[in-house]
Amino acid sequence: MGNFFRGIVRSSAFIRKEIFEILRQPRLVATLVLGPFLILFIFGIGYRDQPTVLRTLFVAQPNSAISPQQIETSVKSVGSQLTYAGSTANLDDALNRLRHGQVDLVVVEPVDAVSTIKSNQQAVFTFYHEEIDPVQVTYISYLGWLFVGEVNQEVLRAFAVQGQKEAVNLHASLQDAHQNLSDMRQAVQSGDQVVAQQKQQQLIGNVDAVSLGVATSLGLLDSLKQAQGTAAANANPPQNTLTDLQQNISQLGTSTDTTDQRLARIDKMDKDLTDLDAQLTEFKSIDPSIIVSPFRNKTKSIANIQPTTAEFFALAVLALLLQHLAVTFAALSIVRERNVGTMELFRVSPLSAAEALIGKYLSYMLFGSVIAAILSALLIFTLHVPMLGNWWYFALVIAAVLFSSLGIGFAISIISQTDSQAVQYSMIILLASVFFSGFIMSLDMLWAPVKVISWLLPTTYGTLLLRNIALRGADPNWGLLAALIALGLVLMLISWQLMRRLITTSE
Amino acid sequence: MTLISPTETGQPQPVLVKDSIISARHLTKKFGGEFAVEDVSFDVPRASIFGFIGPSGSGKTTTIRLLTGVYTPSEGDVSVIDRSPAHFSQRERALLGYMPQLFVLYPTLTVWENLNFAASLYGMGLFRGKRLAEALKFVELYDHRGKLARNISGGMQRRLSLAATLVHDPQLIFLDEPTAGIDPVLRRKFWDHFRELKAQGRTIFITTQYVSEADNCDLVGVQNNGRLLLVDTPQGIRHRAYGGDMVDFRTDQPFDFEAEASLRSLPFVRAKTVRTGPDSMRIIVNQASSDTPQLMAWAQRQNIQVKTVEEYMPPFEDVFVELMRTEVKNG
Repeated sequence: MGNFFRGIVRSSAFIRKEIFEILRQPRLVATLVLGPFLILFIFGIGYRDQPTVLRTLFVAQPNSAISPQQIETSVKSVGSQLTYAGSTANLDDALNRLRHGQVDLVVVEPVDAVSTIKSNQQAVFTFYHEEIDPVQVTYISYLGWLFVGEVNQEVLRAFAVQGQKEAVNLHASLQDAHQNLSDMRQAVQSGDQVVAQQKQQQLIGNVDAVSLGVATSLGLLDSLKQAQGTAAANANPPQNTLTDLQQNISQLGTSTDTTDQRLARIDKMDKDLTDLDAQLTEFKSIDPSIIVSPFRNKTKSIANIQPTTAEFFALAVLALLLQHLAVTFAALSIVRERNVGTMELFRVSPLSAAEALIGKYLSYMLFGSVIAAILSALLIFTLHVPMLGNWWYFALVIAAVLFSSLGIGFAISIISQTDSQAVQYSMIILLASVFFSGFIMSLDMLWAPVKVISWLLPTTYGTLLLRNIALRGADPNWGLLAALIALGLVLMLISWQLMRRLITTSE
Repeated sequence: MTLISPTETGQPQPVLVKDSIISARHLTKKFGGEFAVEDVSFDVPRASIFGFIGPSGSGKTTTIRLLTGVYTPSEGDVSVIDRSPAHFSQRERALLGYMPQLFVLYPTLTVWENLNFAASLYGMGLFRGKRLAEALKFVELYDHRGKLARNISGGMQRRLSLAATLVHDPQLIFLDEPTAGIDPVLRRKFWDHFRELKAQGRTIFITTQYVSEADNCDLVGVQNNGRLLLVDTPQGIRHRAYGGDMVDFRTDQPFDFEAEASLRSLPFVRAKTVRTGPDSMRIIVNQASSDTPQLMAWAQRQNIQVKTVEEYMPPFEDVFVELMRTEVKNG
């Protein structure tokens, strides 16, 4: 029998031994399979993808310009995140209720907002909360920003409503201006200078009246058009039209103009008035809410599906769990050999470090693959986590995650002196994976040098690759997969060297 | 066979043994400045049983570990199968069998699975079932082959360890207290098997806490406080312990003081005599075989009717105690 075949026999001893030892612990196997599945299942049915609702109490200032109804409207506009819990004039009482958990948020209206704004400063709404969770604090800041935005829009909307009301009067002034211009045309054609001058004065009065209202009303409309882009922005703004009108009216009386020139000016003025009238009609027809908030957003994903939060996290959990399983099993494996005393037998026997390690790798790969297959099947067929991609690629990524994780585990195992040391190291790897693998927060939120830790963790690769395959239906990112396998190979090499030292080097 | 002889300083000096399979020279192992084994030299002839006895903590296990390559010597040289254990090849390791002092197999595997694992470790072929069964039958564990190792007794675990050590039919076998916790009947069976293995050309290096078992060895090394006191045949060790052979001398009438003084004055009789009864005495002579006729002649001259004269073989426990007592006395 050749030495190569004997090597296979020696490695196979470990495959059998490890599998038998694991199967002798059915409770452990059941926990490994059912534990994560149940956690995901309960998370899936228990997780409500809804934002936190904050009971919000308002502190109104004496002689407030904002009515409780306006406040309530603003609150409702923000969305379901805020619920109106009433209004009070006493800040201390409101803060007391906040401290006792009767409300979640106290919003204090700015003192004498009108004077502040008149003095060219922004009036400030103050939001009091009792949160210590940084995520919740950010959430409250965001809600505050939304709320103030709604209040600002409410003010602008009132302004637009007022502008539309005034537009009715402007329309009458424009009608008068049209009539006076028509009379003026007749007077110019008939050469009646007295009537012409009389109508010119009346027209000046009409245009002045219009200009006061149009400047604000049509200014809003013009801003809207400006915001729409180049085509609309090229149109003559109402303010320019008014300026043209006023210039033409004042120049109508100049003696240098011929009759034809004066009639041409009247035609131009007639056109401008018609234009203003049309813009005013358009302004009146637009909903004030649209005028103050002309744009809204709509998001559309070009991805094939939009997974739920539980579905999105399920694959990260799978990657994390497989890594933890492989790291823990491998970490305990060699340290236990040492504690049981078998390492002494190995040293005397013809067993090489590579043969022992290959046997252990294969046994745990086999065991991990079975666990992964059962868990994947449960996730996909029971929890209905989408699987849009290729099953072979999925299996390849799982195998690569297990392979790399075993490398970490064996390295831990060889440097650990006791079971508890190995478990501690494994827990540190788990903790690092939760924080640095993109499991709970995106990798983009990490400082670049810290990302080195992320890329040393198989979960980081596994999460990205599995999500891409299962949720996007894409092929694996081959570069990422190659990096994961390379990481596994480097770790295997390190483990082999450490194991060699352990088995072949005497004390 | 030439054996080690004590020198004037009391330190055994190695004498080359022809065809030795193990050869240790000034072997020393220190742990943090403490000597576990100190300046130990001996040879183990091929196809022999070499017993290593000594009190607990005397360095027997450390010596075995130095010989098997588990430890490297702090000083000195060791050659096992003509090679330093630190540089054993896989083929050379396959020639060794090693049974550690403690049970080092897997508690969650069955007796059969443990033995199968040990056989695989030595690269035994796939059709090894018969050999495994034989090994288990030898240690009387075949009927327990389906039991988990953690559920069998300590003695059974020792037997399983022994089966695992012998399953691949090694040429050089290191056994660290293989008979500890084994009942006397099975212990005798083990020794019968060890002698059978020796007859087949195997060499056995064995440590034991049963000093009486030294009688089963071809050579015995006595170790104390990490130092090898002597290496000799069991008979030679007895001789050394008491300064000669012991002879029980019984007459038909009680000894009187005159006769006893006369007996002590004989040149081949050592000073120390022990009365074992009114008409019997245990004396130490240079060589029992050559001195017994002279003893009979002396009795005739003294008109003493001798009932029996026979060599007394003291139990090895007594020999060992005597050796340790001498060691303490000599500092």
